[in-house]
Amino acid sequence: MEIGKQVKIFERRSVLLVFSAAFLLATPGFADESDTNWFWPLSGEYLAEGTYVGEGDVQRGPRKRVSDFDEIDSTLRLVLTPRTKFGVLRLGAEWERFSFGFPSKTALPNTLQSFSAVIGLDMQFSDSIIVRAEGQPGLYNSGLGHLSWDDFNVPFLVGGTYIYNPNLQLVLGVSVNVERKYPVIPAAGIRWKIAPRWLLDAVLPTPRLQFEMTRDVSLYAGATVKETSFRVDDQFGDAHGIPRLNHAIVTYSEVRTGAGFDWKISPIVTFTGEVGYQPYRDFDFHRAEVHYHQDGGAPYGTISLHGAF
Amino acid sequence: MLLMKPKMLSVQRHFSTKACALLILISLFHIGHTIARADAVSELASFSIFDKVDLAQLAKSDVKTAHGPPMRNPRFLAVQSCYVSPGSPAQQIDALRRWDPTRHRELKVFLHSDLPSNPTPSNFEKLKNAPDNASVRSFVAATQKLSSDLQVSRDEAKKFSGGGGGGGGIPAPVAAFWADVLSTRTKNFVSGGMSAQPPYDHAGPSIRASDEVNGLLREQEKIRQQFSGFLGATAIGRGAGSLRPELYWELLDVDDQGVVTLGASYSRGGAGGTYQAADVLYYASGGYYVALTLYQLWPVTVDGKASTLVWRGDMISAASLGSLHGVERLGSESVMMKNITKAVALFRRDNSGNR
Repeated sequence: MEIGKQVKIFERRSVLLVFSAAFLLATPGFADESDTNWFWPLSGEYLAEGTYVGEGDVQRGPRKRVSDFDEIDSTLRLVLTPRTKFGVLRLGAEWERFSFGFPSKTALPNTLQSFSAVIGLDMQFSDSIIVRAEGQPGLYNSGLGHLSWDDFNVPFLVGGTYIYNPNLQLVLGVSVNVERKYPVIPAAGIRWKIAPRWLLDAVLPTPRLQFEMTRDVSLYAGATVKETSFRVDDQFGDAHGIPRLNHAIVTYSEVRTGAGFDWKISPIVTFTGEVGYQPYRDFDFHRAEVHYHQDGGAPYGTISLHGAF
Repeated sequence: MLLMKPKMLSVQRHFSTKACALLILISLFHIGHTIARADAVSELASFSIFDKVDLAQLAKSDVKTAHGPPMRNPRFLAVQSCYVSPGSPAQQIDALRRWDPTRHRELKVFLHSDLPSNPTPSNFEKLKNAPDNASVRSFVAATQKLSSDLQVSRDEAKKFSGGGGGGGGIPAPVAAFWADVLSTRTKNFVSGGMSAQPPYDHAGPSIRASDEVNGLLREQEKIRQQFSGFLGATAIGRGAGSLRPELYWELLDVDDQGVVTLGASYSRGGAGGTYQAADVLYYASGGYYVALTLYQLWPVTVDGKASTLVWRGDMISAASLGSLHGVERLGSESVMMKNITKAVALFRRDNSGNR
């Protein structure tokens, strides 16, 4: 018997491969030194965000112009992410509201709002591929005044991340929304840790180039891309002189480009501030063939509190 | 097996005594091997995440990896893997001993050296020959400004006299500082095990490597029980044990940062040709607090060939892991699994011609 025989295990060095991998998606420098996750086994993520966009313009055809209107975009989201045998579940809710300061008689809704559930799953298909399937069933309309089942929609996305190595991941996915002009939109992205303090996170809807300034503060430059479809109420068209807009679907799209900072206040709370310019905005009643496109951009500012636990 | 028995007995009546004896012998031989395989698989199922393993299938495939159980401490992460390799467990242990992973550049180990049980700063002279790369420069810079990211004790930090610079690699004062820290910590490990290691308290809360490794094991109770006898004879998470460790130090890259680390390896043969082994990195200057890899090896027969069923548990405690949640943690575990698969594949490939 060889009980007690001691041998040298050189394979220990192979363990080291593991270490850099372990930090694949960790925000650089953000450390949690507490012994216990007080929310365990509950885990989740949250976001409370507000954006003010200054006065901008949109135009419909050569003569219909809507000038100098501002926008407030508010978002609240809470998603629980319990670990299951099949992967990480994503169960939660989201509320988002766009409020526009349109001049009277503008054939655009002053409010676009959604209340939705978040139901999804992050699954590991192999040690290189993680797939997310997530739907947001809910009400997408122009306010709570005229609720109907037609306001219900289930936009969803399916996307996969290919982990090439700890510093480089490729992302491919599709967003599906049957109410949109183009119901299926594919997208690709890349997450590349260029250098120890530089990260290119070019993944929609918030592609960014990040620089880790200190242990708890990161700076970034990037964009925010939004596109959601809403149903306006039954009398919206009549009230605005275009009857075919009654009960119509409008898809609102906007792109913001700017720079900001993330300040990790605590392991579960991050404060973000961002300012920039909104170069693209679009209101498209595509079935009614009424389309307002960007005519003049506007500056914006965003603050948010977000985190994961 | 019990259902088969009456049938076997009825067949025996038609054979001569000699043939019958041979048949029984062959049957027993097969039963014996089946039992050995069943014992290994059932023991594997009893403490690991792998509750169902088909040995024949596993022998034909790559390493099988799985996430470890979710753990309460956000700093902890664990991955388990299993695979079948040709040869006996003793041969596997021997192959592990002979394997030189530094041939594979992806391991990012810049310096490696074995250590005697009573090391002096001269055992760390290789530090002066460290390569001049971004990772090592980052390590030097962190040392020179006694960065809060450095994992040393307050007393150790006080010993740094500063200075140095110029000429690539590690400047002499920096090398001397680390040689002193590492030799003292190695002596502490030899004399008092992990419990005698000074805490990481130079900046921030006090973290003890022994608490971390014990926490990792406590949150994986079945594994702790499986290895309790073996670990009890080591210095892992406790005072000096009865088993003599193989000691070493390394300079390596962790997340683009140079890190010096101290490690110890143990192994012990058990009943029926089984083996248990452990490799602990009980000190690191940054990147992670502690890392532990446990191995359980069983002799099995697959397709008539002597083979080894290997279970491997990799566990790590690191501050950076505390900020990972949901899919981020899933992603990190995936890469950890991928890298373990790669490491095992390299090991198996390197040793495929040795049998």
